[in-house]
Amino acid sequence: MLEQSLLTPLFVDTIVDALPSWTLFVRQTLNGLFFGFILFMIATGLTIIFGVLGILNLAHGEFYALGAFLVFSVAGLLLGFVGPPTDWLSIAVFAVVALVAVLVAAAVLLPVSAVLETIFVRPIYDREEVYQLLLTYALLLMMVDVLLFFWGGQPRRLATVFSGINQIPTTELVGISYPSYNIFAILIGLLVFGFLIWFFERTKTGRIVRATAINREAATAMGVSSDRVFTLVFAMGGFFAGFAGALHGAGPISADVGMGIRPLVLSFVVIVVGGLGSIKGAFVGAILIGLASRWTIMIYPPAELAAPYAIMVLVLLLRPEGLYGTWGEIE
Amino acid sequence: MSDETDADHDDQAKSDPDRTAETEDDVLFRLFKIPFTRRRIAVLLAGVVALLLVPELQHLHADLRVRTVYLGLCWGMAALGLNLLLRHTELVSFGHAAYFGGGAYGAALAAQYAGVQEAILLILAGIIAGTTLAVLIGWLVAGYLDIYFALLTLAFNQLLFAIVMGSSEILGSDDGLGVRPEAADLTRPTLFGLELTSAQYEVLTYYLVIGVLLVLLVVTWRLVNSPFGRALDAIGQDRTRARFIGIPVKRYVWITFVISGIYGGIAGALYALSMLHVRPGNTLFVIRSGEILFMAILGGFKTLLGPIVGGIALTYMLTELRFTTEFWEFYTGLLLLFVVFLMPKGIIGSLPAIVEGARYRARNPGMLSEDADSLGGLIREKLNDAVESTKVLLFGVK
Repeated sequence: MLEQSLLTPLFVDTIVDALPSWTLFVRQTLNGLFFGFILFMIATGLTIIFGVLGILNLAHGEFYALGAFLVFSVAGLLLGFVGPPTDWLSIAVFAVVALVAVLVAAAVLLPVSAVLETIFVRPIYDREEVYQLLLTYALLLMMVDVLLFFWGGQPRRLATVFSGINQIPTTELVGISYPSYNIFAILIGLLVFGFLIWFFERTKTGRIVRATAINREAATAMGVSSDRVFTLVFAMGGFFAGFAGALHGAGPISADVGMGIRPLVLSFVVIVVGGLGSIKGAFVGAILIGLASRWTIMIYPPAELAAPYAIMVLVLLLRPEGLYGTWGEIE
Repeated sequence: MSDETDADHDDQAKSDPDRTAETEDDVLFRLFKIPFTRRRIAVLLAGVVALLLVPELQHLHADLRVRTVYLGLCWGMAALGLNLLLRHTELVSFGHAAYFGGGAYGAALAAQYAGVQEAILLILAGIIAGTTLAVLIGWLVAGYLDIYFALLTLAFNQLLFAIVMGSSEILGSDDGLGVRPEAADLTRPTLFGLELTSAQYEVLTYYLVIGVLLVLLVVTWRLVNSPFGRALDAIGQDRTRARFIGIPVKRYVWITFVISGIYGGIAGALYALSMLHVRPGNTLFVIRSGEILFMAILGGFKTLLGPIVGGIALTYMLTELRFTTEFWEFYTGLLLLFVVFLMPKGIIGSLPAIVEGARYRARNPGMLSEDADSLGGLIREKLNDAVESTKVLLFGVK
């Protein structure tokens, strides 16, 4: 299952032949932003898990895949009550229900990742880091088959949400035809970024998490339960990866069992480019990688796969701490 | 042939009764300066005989395939190379598929474009390709540590993968390359100038792999026990201190990196000889790098033979299990979990403790029910923990 879809393109673009170059450029830029925001939501979880727990979670891509499969089932169920949109009001209801479906799908990831963290990851914080890698790899393999067990080996496509939301005109207003769904996804991605910054800068829980990241012993002495903080962080990471998967799976792609690998590897690129443990870094890195990969497709298609890794190599060699360093003092 | 070299700094080794047993008197003879004790000879002979018997026994059971053991040994060799870095300099490479794939592609390119038909020359081409890559990449990454080293090696690995995927004319993109000369009318390379049938070729290349493996094990043993190997241990423990006592840290790490790349190149070329077709997804993709790393950990990365055993074990799980069950990945993951939690030093590394435990329980059968009790208690405790954490997470602290 893993092998089959390793090499299938992750992001299915709208057909872009014989368009004026300006429109093509705008479209690919929007594609890049959409791609970048999805990546950001996956990578942000990976980066906070690494920053706080010190674990590189290889199963993170499977959280994304699980989100995509869940939204297929949840949206399929909920939209059955609403029916296809016809007029303005029903489009609005449809959009709200679709958003609820995405949120519900992502919310399922909260208990799932919390349970995984308490049972499997918690006992090995003190072990050598290679065992942590082996453990998360084992979780990756097992989650792939859990997906296979529930949803089967066939790709699952949820076309109704994408076509329904696309009836709302957005880019048509300025004369470019581009899926409205992607525009909304970009806006939601911005909201997520804003939320995360607010959460870590302004809320008490966020500050507790950062304090634990900076100095676990001192935080424990202040009465913080580091076990709970770790579970919370892991669950948050799982939630946002699932959210990205749900948002993506309800949109232009179909969910399939091996879909978690490529976002995982690209998330490594993102968190390295941005700086390990940095949310702003993950944001800038994801947008950079998204745009770079879409633009190279426009200029020289064979280089599309190589572009993110070339950027990663350059950043690591020239500025190993990444563009933003870290927000917690994480070694 | 479990390895006694790092008893000095490995606390666990001291408490291990089997390790302190060796004295100079136990050494029967020395070959290539390796002291052979009775135990070592027994383990070595058992291992080699078991491997040599595989072609004879494969008719007895459908799951025992020479091809799979062959591939397992190839991956194990790559893991042996990676283990040089992991065990001694304590650097985690997440990009060793670059050298494995480099070796495989080196052999394929030599066969495709230079018309090389001889297997030995193809291996040489693979070694050259793997070494070149390791020299270049090693020079760039030798100064980095920890997670940066891991991710930088990963980045180079993926860059290479992307280059192969992007070059459809020369490197065949996703379809890969055949390891057979286009011009010559051969279905497979010749071995020592002989044209062989499929069955002969399979068995003879298999023996070749075993031979190469033995050579590599001897080389590794000598390397690890040389002053150079000690210097690597020092680098792994504390780089600053190593620099103070005059070890050129970066150059030594670079050299080790190149050596481990050569292992990968040899392994990749041997892989290509068996598969006769190399594809980027099977040889170069980053998940393959992860697998090489996990083989070393699975077998026990603090031991000499661990990576080889891990290589065979994981290759079997990843290639053969899928014929028995649809959910082979789940069972592979389950086995890995089992190893992580119950065999904390890998298969080979935990063997002494397991044997000791089994002996103890054979004397005191009452221990078994205690074991069952404590295991049940552990599972119950874990589940309670999980439920509690989820409750707190979702509904807050009441």
